[in-house]
Amino acid sequence: MERISPHQFMTLGAGVLLGTTFLPVASIVTGVGGRDGWMSILPGFAVGIPYGLMVLSLLAQYPGKNLLQISEALLGKWVGKIIGIIYISITGYFGGLLLAQCGNIFERSIMPLTPLWLFYLGGMLLVLYLVSSGIEVFARFSEVVFPVIVIALILNIDLTIPRIEQGELLPILSEGLRPIFYGVLKVLPFGMEFILFLAGILTFLPTGKQELGQLKTGVWRAVFLVGILDMLVVLMQILVFGPVETNRLIYGFLVLGKMVEVSKTVAGVESLFMGVWLGAVVLKIGAFFFTATWGLESVFGLKGVKWNLALSVVFLGIALGFVKGQDLIREISLVDDYLILPFTSVWILTLWGFSHWKKGGGIQ
Amino acid sequence: MKGKRCKRGFVLILIISLLFLSGCWGKREVEELAPLMALGFDLGQKPGTYLITGQYALPKKGATGAEVEDWTMSFEASSLREAYEMTYKILNRTPFNGSVKVIVIGEDMAKASFKDMLDFAQRFSEFRRTIYLVLAKGKAQSVLNVKLRNGEMPAMSIKNHLEQADEISSYPTVRLGHYLTVLGRKSTAPIIPLVKILKSGDGGIEYKAEGKNGTEEIQLEGAGVFRGDRLVDFLTDEETKGYMWLENNVVHRFISTVGSEESKVNFSAHVLSSATKYKVADNNGKIELQYQIKTSIAVEEVLGQNDQLSDTEWVDLLKGAEKSFAKVIQKECELSIQKERKLGLDFLGVGRHIEEKNPAYWKTVKDQWEDKIADFPLSVNVEVTIHHSGMSSSSPTTN
Repeated sequence: MERISPHQFMTLGAGVLLGTTFLPVASIVTGVGGRDGWMSILPGFAVGIPYGLMVLSLLAQYPGKNLLQISEALLGKWVGKIIGIIYISITGYFGGLLLAQCGNIFERSIMPLTPLWLFYLGGMLLVLYLVSSGIEVFARFSEVVFPVIVIALILNIDLTIPRIEQGELLPILSEGLRPIFYGVLKVLPFGMEFILFLAGILTFLPTGKQELGQLKTGVWRAVFLVGILDMLVVLMQILVFGPVETNRLIYGFLVLGKMVEVSKTVAGVESLFMGVWLGAVVLKIGAFFFTATWGLESVFGLKGVKWNLALSVVFLGIALGFVKGQDLIREISLVDDYLILPFTSVWILTLWGFSHWKKGGGIQ
Repeated sequence: MKGKRCKRGFVLILIISLLFLSGCWGKREVEELAPLMALGFDLGQKPGTYLITGQYALPKKGATGAEVEDWTMSFEASSLREAYEMTYKILNRTPFNGSVKVIVIGEDMAKASFKDMLDFAQRFSEFRRTIYLVLAKGKAQSVLNVKLRNGEMPAMSIKNHLEQADEISSYPTVRLGHYLTVLGRKSTAPIIPLVKILKSGDGGIEYKAEGKNGTEEIQLEGAGVFRGDRLVDFLTDEETKGYMWLENNVVHRFISTVGSEESKVNFSAHVLSSATKYKVADNNGKIELQYQIKTSIAVEEVLGQNDQLSDTEWVDLLKGAEKSFAKVIQKECELSIQKERKLGLDFLGVGRHIEEKNPAYWKTVKDQWEDKIADFPLSVNVEVTIHHSGMSSSSPTTN
């Protein structure tokens, strides 16, 4: 059985949590929170911490089992299977949408004439290669790629400081706390996407007492690191574009990348950034591919290259079905808000509550 | 067995890569591109059309370094893409928009509305939000067709002017991104610098026009005030300078007291640094915006001073000069405020300052803001500090 270290868990978790969230997040939160939207990011992500800790407490009780297996054990075989089917459907569908988003991002920004299927096929081949290499290689991939993503994000933010417009962030809290609350609701699904991944990866995590403590710290660190990064991304976009423009721009961070100029000589570096963002997309798609395969294995006992290929065909099919970018963006938002958020929040809470009730009542 | 399968898979991927990654889709060699440097927008003669001028920098064949040929052409079209199609039919290169430096908006176009023309530039990913926007006095086409005496392309000349604008801070530099951000503020009226063709003799400037058709110069001075995307009025040079002080946009400036008051001795100075602060104050139950301008200058010319002064007299003279400079700045600011009141358009961003400092009050006035601008209390307090007067004190004497 493959195992990943607590450090790998932290970087992989942070990579999956970050994924491509930094591209649409500013537009999403300023849409509901206006110029105070940036304040929604950290609380929105922080909600992921208690959920992460609940999942890890279940791991402590049921070592070596993923959440689907734990669901079967706690809620019964058929309820567990139904949950498993929902889990596979959501992760498989969302993974396919992310693959489509990969094409959408590149087609909109720097490669408008390249056929979409090429992005899909290229992305899928990378993901398949990583998945077939196993979770350990995937974790190592994240250990290499995630720091590069962080550096690129910070560079992009830093190099656009000269473009800041005076006073765009003020006044603070002029509309009260309500817009921030709505913003938090929009950020919550990002944390829940990570929890879905965490639900599946449990079987590959160490279960020693010391390691469990490190895993919990890893959850804290990943959530705060990504929360702060995304908050800076939103903050910078509001400072540069103002809240109205930030909301209007679909992938505002890509536009920000195009505004980078160093000493009036270096410009057009957005393609370099785009290369790094590809790594982020692959990490996220890979994570959802893994979750779907773990689901198939746990619920139906289906595993191996044959089923990986079948799943990749499904991913490609979903991606090819979303050629229209405007439909894709709406669909991702709908899946996030109306599938991932309610399903994950209810599922984890139910499992955790049930396990504690059983534990308290001494029921086995 | 597994290793063998992996190797086969790897070879298969390599073969697929060979087939599909032989080159980028839509790949074009640099020589096949026509870098677009400027776009000019005017109204077309036919209703619903625009006169779109594109200024391209075509690399000269066989030339070394950065030698380029100015290829400027205007098309009457109903959209930018239609104009591009017309360009493709004439020019055997692909227009590249990533190099656009300036968008010139013609006066008639600006008065009519230019939102539709900007839509392409803010939507199509090749364009950057760092492109400069300028308003042409007259037609944008004329500005871009000017043959400059130094042989420079008008697009590059305007861009260079704007990039050095901080040295005189007498007109704003507006990038596409800034314009769009200001539009988003709703209460603030955008402002765009004015570019005009300068003929010899205009405004006391003379030069020797060369060539058959006579070469010309272009000049950046003043600005246009917009309601959204419609030009409402122009600001004079002084009004624009007032805007620059009030907007905290002055980095360096040349400033003179000549003509400002009846004084035998006048001064010219170089602004070393300047900062404008805003305060929203409650003055006997009435909210007002107070500007506090603090400027440091170096006196570089003393005119009309014939007597040799003692150190004490020199100190007193410069103290007086500080007050004179403050009056000059105050006057420029007041002219700008008068224009704001007259137009009923908040190009000074007063509403935004109130919103920033007193959001509760702003909520009560924001819906009637345009009506309030005419008599909203504004005060300007200027403080000038002369750092030095150059390498000498008193002027040289003639007798």
